[in-house]
Amino acid sequence: MASSNVADVRPNRKGSAFQSFRQLVDSVIDACEPIVEWMIRLSGWSAIVFVLAIFAFVFAQAFFVFENDSMIPSLWTKLDFVEFFTSVKWRPTSVVREQYGIVALLAGTGAVTVTSMLIAVPLGLGAAVYVSEFCHGKTKETLKIIIELLAAIPSVVWGFIGVAVLGPLIIDVTGSPIGVNVLNASLILALMSVPVIVSVGEDSLKAVPDSYREAAEALGASKWEVVYRVLFPAAKNGLLAAVLLGVGRAIGETMAVLMASGHKAQIPGGLLDPARTLTATIAAEMGEAPRGGDHYRVLFLIGIVLFALTFLVNLIADVVVKGIKGKQNG
Amino acid sequence: MADANRSQAGCYVVHSAEKGTAGPNFQRFPTMEEAVSAVAGQGSFNGHQQPSNLTKSNNSLVIAHLSNEQSDASQCRPRHRFYVDTHLLGSGGDGTERDPWPDVPTAAKHILSMAGDGKLNLRPNEQIVIESRKMFTATRLEKKKMRSQRIAKGVFFCMTLSLVIPVFAILGYLFVQAWPALSWDFVTLNPKRMGTEGGIWAPLVGTFFLVLMSLLMAAPVGVMAGVYLNEYAKDNWFNRIINLAVVNLAGVPSIVHALFGLGAFVLAAGMGKSLLAASLTLSVMTLPVIITSTREALAAVPKSFREACWNMGATKWQTIRTIVLPNSISGILTGVILQVARAAGETAPIIFTGAAIFLPVEDNGVGYWLPYTLKSEVMALSMHLYTLREQINNAPLAMQYGTAVVLIGLVLSVNSVSIALRVYLRSRKKW
Repeated sequence: MASSNVADVRPNRKGSAFQSFRQLVDSVIDACEPIVEWMIRLSGWSAIVFVLAIFAFVFAQAFFVFENDSMIPSLWTKLDFVEFFTSVKWRPTSVVREQYGIVALLAGTGAVTVTSMLIAVPLGLGAAVYVSEFCHGKTKETLKIIIELLAAIPSVVWGFIGVAVLGPLIIDVTGSPIGVNVLNASLILALMSVPVIVSVGEDSLKAVPDSYREAAEALGASKWEVVYRVLFPAAKNGLLAAVLLGVGRAIGETMAVLMASGHKAQIPGGLLDPARTLTATIAAEMGEAPRGGDHYRVLFLIGIVLFALTFLVNLIADVVVKGIKGKQNG
Repeated sequence: MADANRSQAGCYVVHSAEKGTAGPNFQRFPTMEEAVSAVAGQGSFNGHQQPSNLTKSNNSLVIAHLSNEQSDASQCRPRHRFYVDTHLLGSGGDGTERDPWPDVPTAAKHILSMAGDGKLNLRPNEQIVIESRKMFTATRLEKKKMRSQRIAKGVFFCMTLSLVIPVFAILGYLFVQAWPALSWDFVTLNPKRMGTEGGIWAPLVGTFFLVLMSLLMAAPVGVMAGVYLNEYAKDNWFNRIINLAVVNLAGVPSIVHALFGLGAFVLAAGMGKSLLAASLTLSVMTLPVIITSTREALAAVPKSFREACWNMGATKWQTIRTIVLPNSISGILTGVILQVARAAGETAPIIFTGAAIFLPVEDNGVGYWLPYTLKSEVMALSMHLYTLREQINNAPLAMQYGTAVVLIGLVLSVNSVSIALRVYLRSRKKW
């Protein structure tokens, strides 16, 4: 490709009209340099703008009413924040008294996330080790491509698989009366978050210098000992980041969990109990909540909680990864 | 047994070759049994208790079948070769090089029992060699390690398989279930009666427009942001915050993007539920990944390319335009194409921002191909699958599976194009 650029400036093109036109275009493009550079700069800054905008707009919808072009604070005064964070009762449409306690929803998110990670982390890290250390060439490429394709399957399809395929299977195997429950959602979520864990985990194992492996093997370590005694300690930050990114994905996943978790706002007592997560609650109830009402605002507030949760997880993952890089440079 | 030995005329000689021992060190025996017993240290052997215990490397014991006149066993052909390794613990082994016997008496015992079974029949001028094991062959410790390594590899392989197999099984199952519904008509016909009849044309077109619009907005901004971060940004606190913002934007849950789209585009900007609002939401969602992949692609272009260009007198922008972008276009394209698949599959961000539950297009004419305006709501394939499964009670199963299979097929084929492009371009890479 570099050579084609060299070819472009060689003066062997026939036709001076074309050449002069080309020069004209080139000079116009070059004249635009300041404009283009400013556009590039603005685009670069857009990421910050969007993060702030997401927070601002969700926050505004949660807490302010727009009336006659002025913002009136509304939810601040009305919502009982103690109840919001400590009550188990999520009854947004109760006729007697609406109650907005998100403990049950948090418990649902927690149960599904933890269970799915219990499945996904060992499998994902195992697969990362296998792909990175135990296979070479074609096999490695093929496995990486398969895992990449695994990541591409849309979440709504995963949800559909959970309801239509896994649900009946769970009923058959466990004898539980319902197939959509914590177990179902966790299995689906595990399969969904594994690709992230595998690819980030594999990257961090790849980042360990080969000299570490060679030194360990020269001392007589078997491959397993190299993995267990050398690679895991050396790559532990990257592996931790992989796990955290998997957790972030599991917390934020919406459609699959909405379809596969059973959708019951309660603290799940076991794997076969249905549950409901923060994300699923927003997705399911936003359509019915009257715009501007308390229910509607509380859903946005849940959005802020989610935003904060994933922000925290991603921030930790980022700091952990930066930690590795700093150490390697130093 | 005695008859058999007599019929093989001659005598048996035990020959011990030990390092540091001068001269031939051998003795004749009338039968092989006696020779072997002498090896084991039970008979007499030149007055010594034992010919050799094979404790050192490269020692050997030879039991040769010779005629009476011969005294040199070196002319004999080895017929059987056994190994002994006195450094081993335990009593196992079968005498092969991989799994030797632990000491000479054990070897003798096994050889005797084999001779008793008639497995060892030495013809004249043949010999049995018992060697101490050579160096650099696997010891039991190494074998234990190799075994644990094999086990580890097997376990990791099973872990990988347990990820890969269910997926293929599920995809296969979906395809089989969807088979009755899949036909050309299924793809090209409008959905009827809330999607329970007809095909999936309207959602398919809707998804196409959503993806197209979102990419038209996200790709330029994302690529330019990637250029900024890789080419312009210096390593200071401000750009570190931008990096952090990109990382976190990528981690924001899709449902929060939906809330943002609802608050910002649908309500604040007054777009209403529309194709425009939905694709803007999708483009904000896909932006960080495009930025990251563009950045990686740009970072892969060697620094020396840029330096060479600067030395020719080119400005920064000229360098980027003529050298950096052309050399990284493959990586950038790969990243953008991957986002096509992601945008096509997302459901949560479009539920409140523009996806219609049921909105068939015209059956022919312009409305068949260009049914949606920027202001109209659209159907989308992912939303259609959700609707068929969760919102409508009596949608035929085959149609649900069919919609899922078409969606997966769409996404996976777009991904495959991206992967193929990457593999092809990587093979042509010049640096």
